[in-house]
Amino acid sequence: MKNKRFAIVLDTKRCIDCKACTVACKTENHVPLGTDNYRNWVGPEPLRGTYPNLGQTFTPSQCQHCSNPPCEHVCPTGATTVTPDGIVHVIEHKCIGCKYCMTACPYDARYYNEEIEAVDKCTFCSQRIYGENGQLPACVETCPTKVRVFGDLNDPNSDVSKLLAKHPSRVLKPAQGTKPNLYYLI
Amino acid sequence: MSSFLKHRPSLPLWLGLLSIGVLIGVAGALNVLINGHAQVYNVTREVPWGILIATYVFLVVSSTGLCLLSSLGHVFGIEKFEFIGKRAIILAIITLLCGFGAIGMEINHPIRLAIYAIISPNFTSAIWWMGTLYGLYLVLLSGELYFLMKGMHKGAFTMGMLGFIAAVSAHSNLGAVFGLLEARPFWHGSFLPIYFILSALVSGGAIVSLIVYFNYKQSGTPIPQKYEAFFDTLGRLQTLFLMVLVFFVIWKIIPGIYGHPPEKYEATMAMLTGPLAFNFWFFEVLLGLLIPITLLINPRTRTPMGVMWAGISATVGIFFMRYDLVIGGQLVSMRAGTADLRDGLLHYVPSITEFAIVIGAISTCLLLYTLAEKFLPLDADEH
Repeated sequence: MKNKRFAIVLDTKRCIDCKACTVACKTENHVPLGTDNYRNWVGPEPLRGTYPNLGQTFTPSQCQHCSNPPCEHVCPTGATTVTPDGIVHVIEHKCIGCKYCMTACPYDARYYNEEIEAVDKCTFCSQRIYGENGQLPACVETCPTKVRVFGDLNDPNSDVSKLLAKHPSRVLKPAQGTKPNLYYLI
Repeated sequence: MSSFLKHRPSLPLWLGLLSIGVLIGVAGALNVLINGHAQVYNVTREVPWGILIATYVFLVVSSTGLCLLSSLGHVFGIEKFEFIGKRAIILAIITLLCGFGAIGMEINHPIRLAIYAIISPNFTSAIWWMGTLYGLYLVLLSGELYFLMKGMHKGAFTMGMLGFIAAVSAHSNLGAVFGLLEARPFWHGSFLPIYFILSALVSGGAIVSLIVYFNYKQSGTPIPQKYEAFFDTLGRLQTLFLMVLVFFVIWKIIPGIYGHPPEKYEATMAMLTGPLAFNFWFFEVLLGLLIPITLLINPRTRTPMGVMWAGISATVGIFFMRYDLVIGGQLVSMRAGTADLRDGLLHYVPSITEFAIVIGAISTCLLLYTLAEKFLPLDADEH
Protein backbone atom coordinates (compact mmCIF):
# COMPACT_ATOMS: atom_id res chain seq x y z
CA MET A 1 0.00 0.00 0.00
CA LYS A 2 1.23 3.45 -0.88
CA ASN A 3 2.29 5.64 2.04
CA LYS A 4 0.23 8.62 2.98
CA ARG A 5 1.46 12.20 2.82
CA PHE A 6 -0.44 13.91 5.58
CA ALA A 7 -1.06 17.64 5.30
CA ILE A 8 -3.32 20.39 6.59
CA VAL A 9 -4.91 23.02 4.37
CA LEU A 10 -5.96 26.23 6.12
CA ASP A 11 -8.41 28.87 5.03
CA THR A 12 -7.29 31.76 7.22
CA LYS A 13 -10.12 34.03 6.12
CA ARG A 14 -12.35 31.91 8.34
CA CYS A 15 -10.16 32.25 11.46
CA ILE A 16 -11.79 34.21 14.30
CA ASP A 17 -8.79 34.01 16.69
CA CYS A 18 -10.74 32.03 19.30
CA LYS A 19 -7.72 29.83 20.01
CA ALA A 20 -9.85 26.73 20.46
CA CYS A 21 -7.24 24.83 18.42
CA THR A 22 -4.55 25.65 20.98
CA VAL A 23 -6.79 24.67 23.89
CA ALA A 24 -7.85 21.41 22.23
CA CYS A 25 -4.24 20.58 21.38
CA LYS A 26 -2.97 21.26 24.88
CA THR A 27 -5.70 19.07 26.38
CA GLU A 28 -5.43 16.22 23.89
CA ASN A 29 -1.64 16.07 24.00
CA HIS A 30 -1.07 16.76 27.71
CA VAL A 31 0.94 19.89 26.96
CA PRO A 32 2.12 21.30 30.32
CA LEU A 33 0.95 24.67 31.60
CA GLY A 34 3.22 27.64 30.96
CA THR A 35 3.47 30.38 28.38
CA ASP A 36 6.29 28.68 26.45
CA ASN A 37 4.47 25.36 26.17
CA TYR A 38 2.29 24.92 23.11
CA ARG A 39 2.28 22.91 19.90
CA ASN A 40 0.13 25.27 17.88
CA TRP A 41 -0.88 28.92 18.04
CA VAL A 42 -2.84 31.66 16.32
CA GLY A 43 -0.66 34.45 15.00
CA PRO A 44 -2.30 37.86 14.57
CA GLU A 45 -1.37 39.57 11.32
CA PRO A 46 -0.80 43.36 11.44
CA LEU A 47 -3.86 45.58 11.36
CA ARG A 48 -4.66 46.83 7.87
CA GLY A 49 -5.94 50.26 6.89
CA THR A 50 -6.94 53.27 8.97
CA TYR A 51 -10.07 53.82 11.04
CA PRO A 52 -12.86 53.30 10.10
CA ASN A 53 -11.62 51.13 7.24
CA LEU A 54 -9.85 48.38 9.10
CA GLY A 55 -9.12 44.74 8.53
CA GLN A 56 -7.20 41.96 10.21
CA THR A 57 -6.60 38.29 9.61
CA PHE A 58 -5.15 35.61 11.83
CA THR A 59 -2.75 32.87 10.85
CA PRO A 60 -3.02 29.69 12.89
CA SER A 61 0.14 27.65 12.67
CA GLN A 62 2.19 24.77 14.09
CA CYS A 63 4.85 22.31 12.89
CA GLN A 64 4.82 22.30 9.09
CA HIS A 65 5.80 18.61 8.88
CA CYS A 66 8.33 19.63 6.26
CA SER A 67 9.33 17.21 3.52
CA ASN A 68 12.88 18.53 4.01
CA PRO A 69 12.93 19.09 7.76
CA PRO A 70 15.97 20.98 9.17
CA CYS A 71 15.17 19.71 12.67
CA GLU A 72 15.77 16.15 11.51
CA HIS A 73 19.07 17.05 9.86
CA VAL A 74 20.52 18.70 12.96
CA CYS A 75 19.43 16.24 15.67
CA PRO A 76 22.65 14.59 16.92
CA THR A 77 21.02 11.36 18.08
CA GLY A 78 18.30 10.88 15.49
CA ALA A 79 15.66 11.63 18.13
CA THR A 80 13.78 13.70 15.56
CA THR A 81 12.63 11.46 12.78
CA VAL A 82 9.96 11.22 10.10
CA THR A 83 7.40 8.44 9.73
CA PRO A 84 6.72 6.91 6.29
CA ASP A 85 3.50 8.96 6.26
CA GLY A 86 5.48 12.19 6.64
CA ILE A 87 4.90 12.93 10.32
CA VAL A 88 7.93 14.64 11.89
CA HIS A 89 8.16 13.50 15.51
CA VAL A 90 10.53 13.14 18.47
CA ILE A 91 11.55 9.81 19.99
CA GLU A 92 11.49 11.00 23.58
CA HIS A 93 14.06 8.70 25.15
CA LYS A 94 16.67 9.67 22.54
CA CYS A 95 16.28 13.44 23.04
CA ILE A 96 19.29 14.94 24.82
CA GLY A 97 17.73 18.38 25.22
CA CYS A 98 20.43 20.23 23.26
CA LYS A 99 17.68 22.31 21.60
CA TYR A 100 19.51 22.37 18.29
CA CYS A 101 16.21 21.50 16.57
CA MET A 102 14.63 24.53 18.23
CA THR A 103 17.27 26.85 16.78
CA ALA A 104 17.08 25.09 13.39
CA CYS A 105 13.30 25.29 12.97
CA PRO A 106 12.32 28.40 10.99
CA TYR A 107 8.74 28.14 12.30
CA ASP A 108 9.28 28.10 16.10
CA ALA A 109 7.28 24.87 16.19
CA ARG A 110 9.07 23.21 19.10
CA TYR A 111 9.39 23.60 22.87
CA TYR A 112 11.08 21.65 25.63
CA ASN A 113 8.55 19.64 27.64
CA GLU A 114 9.77 19.24 31.22
CA GLU A 115 7.17 16.55 31.94
CA ILE A 116 8.18 14.13 29.20
CA GLU A 117 11.80 15.35 29.45
CA ALA A 118 12.16 15.85 25.71
CA VAL A 119 11.51 18.39 23.00
CA ASP A 120 7.85 18.21 22.02
CA LYS A 121 5.91 19.24 18.92
CA CYS A 122 2.82 18.58 16.82
CA THR A 123 2.40 14.96 15.70
CA PHE A 124 -0.82 15.56 13.73
CA CYS A 125 -2.37 13.85 16.81
CA SER A 126 -1.04 10.49 15.58
CA GLN A 127 -2.75 8.77 18.54
CA ARG A 128 -6.07 9.92 17.05
CA ILE A 129 -5.49 9.53 13.32
CA TYR A 130 -4.09 6.01 13.67
CA GLY A 131 -6.54 5.17 16.48
CA GLU A 132 -9.44 2.70 16.17
CA ASN A 133 -11.94 5.29 15.03
CA GLY A 134 -9.54 7.16 12.77
CA GLN A 135 -10.31 10.54 14.29
CA LEU A 136 -9.12 13.90 13.00
CA PRO A 137 -6.38 15.87 14.81
CA ALA A 138 -7.87 17.72 17.79
CA CYS A 139 -7.25 21.19 16.33
CA VAL A 140 -9.04 20.23 13.11
CA GLU A 141 -12.00 18.67 14.86
CA THR A 142 -12.55 21.51 17.32
CA CYS A 143 -12.27 24.49 14.95
CA PRO A 144 -15.71 26.19 14.98
CA THR A 145 -15.29 27.83 11.58
CA LYS A 146 -13.54 24.90 9.88
CA VAL A 147 -10.33 26.78 9.08
CA ARG A 148 -8.36 23.54 8.99
CA VAL A 149 -8.80 20.54 6.72
CA PHE A 150 -6.65 17.47 7.33
CA GLY A 151 -5.93 14.67 4.89
CA ASP A 152 -3.64 12.69 2.61
CA LEU A 153 -2.05 14.49 -0.34
CA ASN A 154 -1.22 11.15 -1.96
CA ASP A 155 -4.95 10.48 -2.35
CA PRO A 156 -6.24 12.65 -5.23
CA ASN A 157 -9.79 12.35 -3.88
CA SER A 158 -9.00 13.55 -0.36
CA ASP A 159 -10.40 16.88 0.80
CA VAL A 160 -6.92 18.41 1.00
CA SER A 161 -6.01 17.35 -2.54
CA LYS A 162 -9.28 18.72 -3.89
CA LEU A 163 -8.89 22.04 -2.06
CA LEU A 164 -5.36 22.51 -3.36
CA ALA A 165 -6.52 21.63 -6.88
CA LYS A 166 -9.33 24.14 -6.74
CA HIS A 167 -7.63 27.08 -4.96
CA PRO A 168 -4.22 28.73 -5.16
CA SER A 169 -2.27 28.41 -1.96
CA ARG A 170 0.98 29.41 -0.28
CA VAL A 171 3.35 27.90 2.25
CA LEU A 172 5.30 29.72 4.97
CA LYS A 173 8.91 30.74 4.27
CA PRO A 174 9.26 28.82 0.98
CA ALA A 175 12.76 30.24 0.48
CA GLN A 176 13.98 28.10 3.39
CA GLY A 177 13.65 25.07 1.13
CA THR A 178 11.92 23.11 3.88
CA LYS A 179 8.98 22.03 1.67
CA PRO A 180 6.24 22.54 4.28
CA ASN A 181 3.03 20.50 4.32
CA LEU A 182 0.78 23.16 5.77
CA TYR A 183 -0.91 24.99 2.94
CA TYR A 184 -2.61 28.37 3.31
CA LEU A 185 -5.34 29.14 0.78
CA ILE A 186 -4.96 32.52 -0.87
CA MET B 1 55.09 24.37 50.56
CA SER B 2 56.23 27.09 52.97
CA SER B 3 58.87 28.42 50.59
CA PHE B 4 56.31 28.18 47.82
CA LEU B 5 53.97 30.38 49.80
CA LYS B 6 56.75 32.80 50.74
CA HIS B 7 57.46 33.46 47.09
CA ARG B 8 53.79 33.70 46.30
CA PRO B 9 52.17 35.63 49.13
CA SER B 10 48.96 36.19 47.19
CA LEU B 11 48.52 32.49 46.38
CA PRO B 12 46.30 31.60 49.39
CA LEU B 13 44.07 34.56 48.58
CA TRP B 14 43.93 33.53 44.91
CA LEU B 15 43.10 29.90 45.79
CA GLY B 16 40.50 31.11 48.31
CA LEU B 17 38.78 33.31 45.71
CA LEU B 18 38.77 30.52 43.14
CA SER B 19 37.37 28.06 45.68
CA ILE B 20 34.52 30.47 46.40
CA GLY B 21 33.93 30.71 42.63
CA VAL B 22 33.83 26.92 42.35
CA LEU B 23 31.39 26.71 45.27
CA ILE B 24 29.13 29.30 43.61
CA GLY B 25 29.17 27.09 40.51
CA VAL B 26 28.37 23.97 42.56
CA ALA B 27 25.46 25.80 44.20
CA GLY B 28 24.16 26.76 40.75
CA ALA B 29 24.52 23.21 39.47
CA LEU B 30 22.68 21.81 42.50
CA ASN B 31 19.92 24.34 41.97
CA VAL B 32 19.46 23.02 38.42
CA LEU B 33 19.52 19.38 39.51
CA ILE B 34 16.96 19.99 42.26
CA ASN B 35 14.58 22.43 40.55
CA GLY B 36 15.00 21.66 36.85
CA HIS B 37 16.27 23.72 33.94
CA ALA B 38 12.99 25.47 33.17
CA GLN B 39 12.65 26.85 36.70
CA VAL B 40 16.13 28.28 37.13
CA TYR B 41 17.31 29.24 33.62
CA ASN B 42 16.09 32.23 31.64
CA VAL B 43 16.36 30.51 28.26
CA THR B 44 13.04 30.27 26.46
CA ARG B 45 11.36 28.50 23.60
CA GLU B 46 12.54 31.22 21.23
CA VAL B 47 15.95 31.91 22.77
CA PRO B 48 16.86 28.32 23.70
CA TRP B 49 20.64 28.85 23.88
CA GLY B 50 21.85 31.12 26.67
CA ILE B 51 25.02 32.25 28.38
CA LEU B 52 26.08 28.66 29.12
CA ILE B 53 26.40 27.92 25.40
CA ALA B 54 28.32 31.20 25.01
CA THR B 55 30.62 30.15 27.88
CA TYR B 56 31.10 26.75 26.30
CA VAL B 57 32.08 28.39 23.03
CA PHE B 58 34.41 30.80 24.86
CA LEU B 59 36.16 27.97 26.71
CA VAL B 60 36.60 25.69 23.72
CA VAL B 61 37.79 28.62 21.60
CA SER B 62 40.40 29.19 24.31
CA SER B 63 41.34 25.52 24.21
CA THR B 64 41.72 25.52 20.44
CA GLY B 65 43.71 28.75 20.55
CA LEU B 66 46.10 27.36 23.14
CA CYS B 67 46.59 24.22 21.06
CA LEU B 68 47.25 26.25 17.91
CA LEU B 69 49.71 28.59 19.66
CA SER B 70 51.58 25.73 21.31
CA SER B 71 51.81 23.94 17.96
CA LEU B 72 53.78 26.94 16.66
CA GLY B 73 56.58 25.63 18.87
CA HIS B 74 56.65 21.86 18.91
CA VAL B 75 54.89 21.21 15.57
CA PHE B 76 56.00 24.06 13.35
CA GLY B 77 59.38 24.41 15.00
CA ILE B 78 59.32 28.11 15.86
CA GLU B 79 61.86 27.91 18.66
CA LYS B 80 60.66 30.85 20.70
CA PHE B 81 57.31 29.14 21.24
CA GLU B 82 58.60 25.75 22.29
CA PHE B 83 58.75 26.43 26.00
CA ILE B 84 55.01 27.18 26.31
CA GLY B 85 54.12 23.64 25.15
CA LYS B 86 53.24 21.88 28.39
CA ARG B 87 51.46 24.80 30.01
CA ALA B 88 49.45 25.57 26.90
CA ILE B 89 48.43 21.94 26.43
CA ILE B 90 47.47 21.47 30.08
CA LEU B 91 45.35 24.60 30.01
CA ALA B 92 43.87 23.51 26.65
CA ILE B 93 42.73 20.27 28.29
CA ILE B 94 41.35 22.09 31.34
CA THR B 95 39.45 24.73 29.33
CA LEU B 96 38.02 22.01 27.10
CA LEU B 97 36.80 19.98 30.09
CA CYS B 98 35.29 23.07 31.76
CA GLY B 99 33.64 23.91 28.43
CA PHE B 100 32.11 20.42 28.37
CA GLY B 101 30.94 21.09 31.93
CA ALA B 102 29.20 24.33 30.88
CA ILE B 103 27.40 22.74 27.93
CA GLY B 104 26.62 19.69 30.07
CA MET B 105 24.69 21.97 32.41
CA GLU B 106 22.85 23.61 29.50
CA ILE B 107 21.61 20.46 27.76
CA ASN B 108 18.96 18.52 29.58
CA HIS B 109 20.28 14.96 29.21
CA PRO B 110 24.07 14.74 28.87
CA ILE B 111 23.95 11.03 29.76
CA ARG B 112 21.55 10.31 26.91
CA LEU B 113 23.99 12.15 24.67
CA ALA B 114 26.80 9.79 25.67
CA ILE B 115 24.61 6.75 24.92
CA TYR B 116 22.70 7.75 21.79
CA ALA B 117 25.54 9.61 20.10
CA ILE B 118 27.13 6.16 19.88
CA ILE B 119 24.21 3.80 19.27
CA SER B 120 22.06 6.21 17.25
CA PRO B 121 24.37 8.69 15.54
CA ASN B 122 23.09 11.21 13.01
CA PHE B 123 25.95 12.01 10.66
CA THR B 124 24.22 15.08 9.22
CA SER B 125 24.23 16.76 12.64
CA ALA B 126 26.97 19.32 13.30
CA ILE B 127 26.47 18.75 17.04
CA TRP B 128 27.20 15.05 16.56
CA TRP B 129 30.42 15.96 14.76
CA MET B 130 31.19 18.53 17.41
CA GLY B 131 31.02 15.92 20.17
CA THR B 132 33.02 13.38 18.18
CA LEU B 133 35.74 15.75 17.01
CA TYR B 134 36.18 17.39 20.41
CA GLY B 135 36.30 13.93 21.99
CA LEU B 136 39.06 12.96 19.57
CA TYR B 137 40.79 16.29 20.20
CA LEU B 138 40.75 15.64 23.96
CA VAL B 139 42.35 12.22 23.47
CA LEU B 140 45.08 13.69 21.25
CA LEU B 141 45.76 16.57 23.66
CA SER B 142 46.09 14.09 26.50
CA GLY B 143 48.51 12.00 24.44
CA GLU B 144 50.48 15.07 23.53
CA LEU B 145 50.73 16.11 27.18
CA TYR B 146 51.86 12.60 28.14
CA PHE B 147 54.69 12.64 25.60
CA LEU B 148 55.68 16.19 26.55
CA MET B 149 55.82 15.30 30.22
CA LYS B 150 57.88 12.19 29.43
CA GLY B 151 60.17 14.26 27.21
CA MET B 152 59.41 12.04 24.19
CA HIS B 153 59.68 14.60 21.43
CA LYS B 154 58.86 12.42 18.47
CA GLY B 155 55.62 11.24 20.09
CA ALA B 156 54.80 14.80 21.12
CA PHE B 157 55.38 16.00 17.57
CA THR B 158 53.11 13.32 16.07
CA MET B 159 50.39 13.90 18.64
CA GLY B 160 50.83 17.65 18.27
CA MET B 161 50.40 17.42 14.50
CA LEU B 162 47.29 15.24 14.82
CA GLY B 163 46.03 17.49 17.64
CA PHE B 164 46.49 20.53 15.41
CA ILE B 165 44.39 18.90 12.67
CA ALA B 166 41.75 17.83 15.19
CA ALA B 167 41.68 21.32 16.73
CA VAL B 168 41.10 23.01 13.39
CA SER B 169 38.48 20.43 12.34
CA ALA B 170 36.62 20.48 15.64
CA HIS B 171 36.67 24.22 15.94
CA SER B 172 35.65 25.10 12.43
CA ASN B 173 32.90 22.52 12.85
CA LEU B 174 31.77 24.40 15.98
CA GLY B 175 31.37 27.43 13.73
CA ALA B 176 29.32 25.19 11.45
CA VAL B 177 26.96 24.30 14.34
CA PHE B 178 25.77 27.88 13.92
CA GLY B 179 26.70 28.39 10.27
CA LEU B 180 24.61 25.51 8.95
CA LEU B 181 21.35 26.91 10.31
CA GLU B 182 19.58 28.37 7.33
CA ALA B 183 16.78 29.53 9.62
CA ARG B 184 19.19 32.00 11.29
CA PRO B 185 20.49 34.46 8.69
CA PHE B 186 22.78 36.14 11.25
CA TRP B 187 24.70 32.86 11.60
CA HIS B 188 24.14 31.11 8.30
CA GLY B 189 26.98 30.71 5.84
CA SER B 190 30.65 29.83 5.68
CA PHE B 191 31.76 32.90 7.64
CA LEU B 192 31.53 31.46 11.14
CA PRO B 193 33.68 28.31 10.66
CA ILE B 194 36.50 30.49 9.32
CA TYR B 195 35.97 33.25 11.86
CA PHE B 196 36.10 30.74 14.71
CA ILE B 197 39.58 29.59 13.73
CA LEU B 198 40.87 33.14 13.52
CA SER B 199 39.33 34.18 16.82
CA ALA B 200 40.84 31.06 18.41
CA LEU B 201 44.28 32.40 17.47
CA VAL B 202 43.46 35.70 19.18
CA SER B 203 42.19 33.85 22.27
CA GLY B 204 45.24 31.59 22.32
CA GLY B 205 47.67 34.49 21.96
CA ALA B 206 45.98 36.41 24.78
CA ILE B 207 45.93 33.46 27.17
CA VAL B 208 49.51 32.41 26.42
CA SER B 209 50.64 35.93 27.34
CA LEU B 210 48.84 35.57 30.69
CA ILE B 211 50.27 32.12 31.40
CA VAL B 212 53.84 33.17 30.76
CA TYR B 213 53.57 36.54 32.47
CA PHE B 214 51.96 35.36 35.70
CA ASN B 215 54.19 32.32 35.93
CA TYR B 216 57.24 34.58 36.25
CA LYS B 217 55.53 37.42 38.05
CA GLN B 218 54.17 35.14 40.76
CA SER B 219 57.39 33.22 41.24
CA GLY B 220 58.93 36.49 42.41
CA THR B 221 61.81 36.21 39.95
CA PRO B 222 62.40 38.84 37.27
CA ILE B 223 61.41 37.86 33.77
CA PRO B 224 64.48 36.44 32.00
CA GLN B 225 65.83 38.20 28.96
CA LYS B 226 64.74 35.51 26.52
CA TYR B 227 61.13 35.88 27.65
CA GLU B 228 61.29 39.63 27.10
CA ALA B 229 62.07 38.77 23.50
CA PHE B 230 59.28 36.20 23.50
CA PHE B 231 56.76 38.82 24.65
CA ASP B 232 57.91 41.14 21.90
CA THR B 233 57.35 38.44 19.26
CA LEU B 234 54.04 37.34 20.80
CA GLY B 235 52.94 40.97 20.92
CA ARG B 236 53.68 41.47 17.22
CA LEU B 237 51.94 38.22 16.30
CA GLN B 238 48.93 39.14 18.42
CA THR B 239 48.75 42.54 16.68
CA LEU B 240 48.50 40.75 13.37
CA PHE B 241 45.77 38.38 14.67
CA LEU B 242 43.81 41.32 16.10
CA MET B 243 44.09 43.36 12.91
CA VAL B 244 42.73 40.45 10.91
CA LEU B 245 39.95 40.10 13.47
CA VAL B 246 39.03 43.78 13.00
CA PHE B 247 38.73 43.07 9.29
CA PHE B 248 36.45 40.10 10.07
CA VAL B 249 34.26 42.17 12.41
CA ILE B 250 33.85 44.93 9.81
CA TRP B 251 32.95 42.47 7.07
CA LYS B 252 30.49 40.70 9.36
CA ILE B 253 28.68 43.99 9.93
CA ILE B 254 28.56 45.50 6.43
CA PRO B 255 26.66 42.65 4.72
CA GLY B 256 24.38 42.64 7.79
CA ILE B 257 23.19 46.19 7.22
CA TYR B 258 23.72 46.80 3.50
CA GLY B 259 20.33 46.70 1.81
CA HIS B 260 18.63 45.68 5.07
CA PRO B 261 18.69 41.88 4.49
CA PRO B 262 15.70 40.44 6.35
CA GLU B 263 16.40 39.12 9.85
CA LYS B 264 20.17 39.57 9.43
CA TYR B 265 19.69 43.32 9.54
CA GLU B 266 17.63 43.23 12.74
CA ALA B 267 20.20 40.98 14.46
CA THR B 268 23.11 43.16 13.32
CA MET B 269 21.34 46.31 14.51
CA ALA B 270 20.68 44.62 17.86
CA MET B 271 24.47 44.65 18.21
CA LEU B 272 25.10 48.11 16.81
CA THR B 273 22.32 50.11 18.45
CA GLY B 274 20.04 47.63 20.21
CA PRO B 275 20.13 45.55 23.40
CA LEU B 276 23.64 44.19 22.69
CA ALA B 277 25.13 47.59 21.78
CA PHE B 278 26.95 48.19 25.08
CA ASN B 279 28.43 44.70 24.95
CA PHE B 280 29.50 45.29 21.39
CA TRP B 281 31.00 48.78 21.57
CA PHE B 282 32.45 48.66 25.06
CA PHE B 283 33.51 45.06 25.49
CA GLU B 284 34.02 43.75 21.95
CA VAL B 285 35.36 46.82 20.21
CA LEU B 286 37.07 48.78 23.00
CA LEU B 287 38.32 46.03 25.34
CA GLY B 288 38.52 43.24 22.79
CA LEU B 289 40.16 45.10 19.91
CA LEU B 290 41.13 48.75 20.33
CA ILE B 291 42.89 48.64 23.71
CA PRO B 292 44.93 45.51 22.91
CA ILE B 293 45.89 46.82 19.48
CA THR B 294 46.92 50.18 20.94
CA LEU B 295 49.06 48.50 23.60
CA LEU B 296 50.64 46.04 21.21
CA ILE B 297 51.34 48.26 18.23
CA ASN B 298 53.43 50.74 20.20
CA PRO B 299 56.95 49.40 20.93
CA ARG B 300 57.03 51.34 24.22
CA THR B 301 53.97 49.50 25.58
CA ARG B 302 54.84 46.16 23.97
CA THR B 303 56.57 45.18 27.20
CA PRO B 304 55.79 41.95 29.05
CA MET B 305 53.37 43.90 31.24
CA GLY B 306 51.78 45.64 28.24
CA VAL B 307 51.32 42.35 26.41
CA MET B 308 49.78 40.87 29.56
CA TRP B 309 47.29 43.76 29.91
CA ALA B 310 46.44 43.45 26.23
CA GLY B 311 45.84 39.74 26.89
CA ILE B 312 43.45 40.37 29.79
CA SER B 313 41.59 43.06 27.85
CA ALA B 314 41.26 40.87 24.75
CA THR B 315 40.13 37.83 26.77
CA VAL B 316 37.33 39.81 28.43
CA GLY B 317 36.34 41.25 25.05
CA ILE B 318 36.32 37.80 23.46
CA PHE B 319 33.92 36.47 26.10
CA PHE B 320 31.44 39.14 25.03
CA MET B 321 32.06 38.35 21.36
CA ARG B 322 30.88 34.79 22.07
CA TYR B 323 27.90 35.97 24.09
CA ASP B 324 26.75 38.49 21.50
CA LEU B 325 27.19 35.98 18.69
CA VAL B 326 25.15 33.28 20.41
CA ILE B 327 22.38 35.54 21.73
CA GLY B 328 22.31 37.94 18.77
CA GLY B 329 21.51 35.11 16.37
CA GLN B 330 18.37 34.26 18.31
CA LEU B 331 16.85 37.67 19.01
CA VAL B 332 14.81 37.84 15.81
CA SER B 333 11.55 35.95 16.20
CA MET B 334 10.95 33.10 13.77
CA ARG B 335 7.30 33.99 13.23
CA ALA B 336 4.91 36.90 13.25
CA GLY B 337 2.72 37.60 16.21
CA THR B 338 5.02 36.48 19.02
CA ALA B 339 3.99 38.26 22.17
CA ASP B 340 6.44 40.04 24.45
CA LEU B 341 8.73 41.60 21.87
CA ARG B 342 10.73 44.67 22.90
CA ASP B 343 11.45 47.01 19.99
CA GLY B 344 10.66 44.15 17.66
CA LEU B 345 13.18 41.77 19.26
CA LEU B 346 13.04 38.86 21.66
CA HIS B 347 15.02 39.32 24.85
CA TYR B 348 17.19 37.28 27.15
CA VAL B 349 19.04 38.12 30.35
CA PRO B 350 20.90 35.29 32.11
CA SER B 351 19.46 34.12 35.44
CA ILE B 352 21.43 34.13 38.70
CA THR B 353 21.87 30.37 38.39
CA GLU B 354 23.23 30.72 34.87
CA PHE B 355 25.70 33.36 36.08
CA ALA B 356 26.67 31.10 38.99
CA ILE B 357 27.51 28.23 36.64
CA VAL B 358 29.55 30.53 34.40
CA ILE B 359 31.53 31.74 37.44
CA GLY B 360 31.94 28.12 38.53
CA ALA B 361 33.21 26.96 35.13
CA ILE B 362 35.77 29.76 34.81
CA SER B 363 36.89 29.44 38.45
CA THR B 364 37.30 25.68 38.04
CA CYS B 365 39.49 26.31 35.02
CA LEU B 366 41.74 28.74 36.86
CA LEU B 367 41.87 26.59 40.00
CA LEU B 368 42.83 23.44 38.11
CA TYR B 369 45.49 25.32 36.20
CA THR B 370 46.90 26.87 39.38
CA LEU B 371 47.09 23.40 40.93
CA ALA B 372 48.71 21.96 37.80
CA GLU B 373 51.28 24.74 37.92
CA LYS B 374 51.98 23.93 41.55
CA PHE B 375 52.13 20.14 41.38
CA LEU B 376 53.37 19.25 37.90
CA PRO B 377 56.94 19.70 36.69
CA LEU B 378 56.17 22.13 33.90
CA ASP B 379 59.56 23.79 33.70
CA ALA B 380 61.78 20.75 33.25
CA ASP B 381 63.10 19.78 29.81
CA GLU B 382 62.24 22.82 27.83
CA HIS B 383 63.32 21.75 24.39
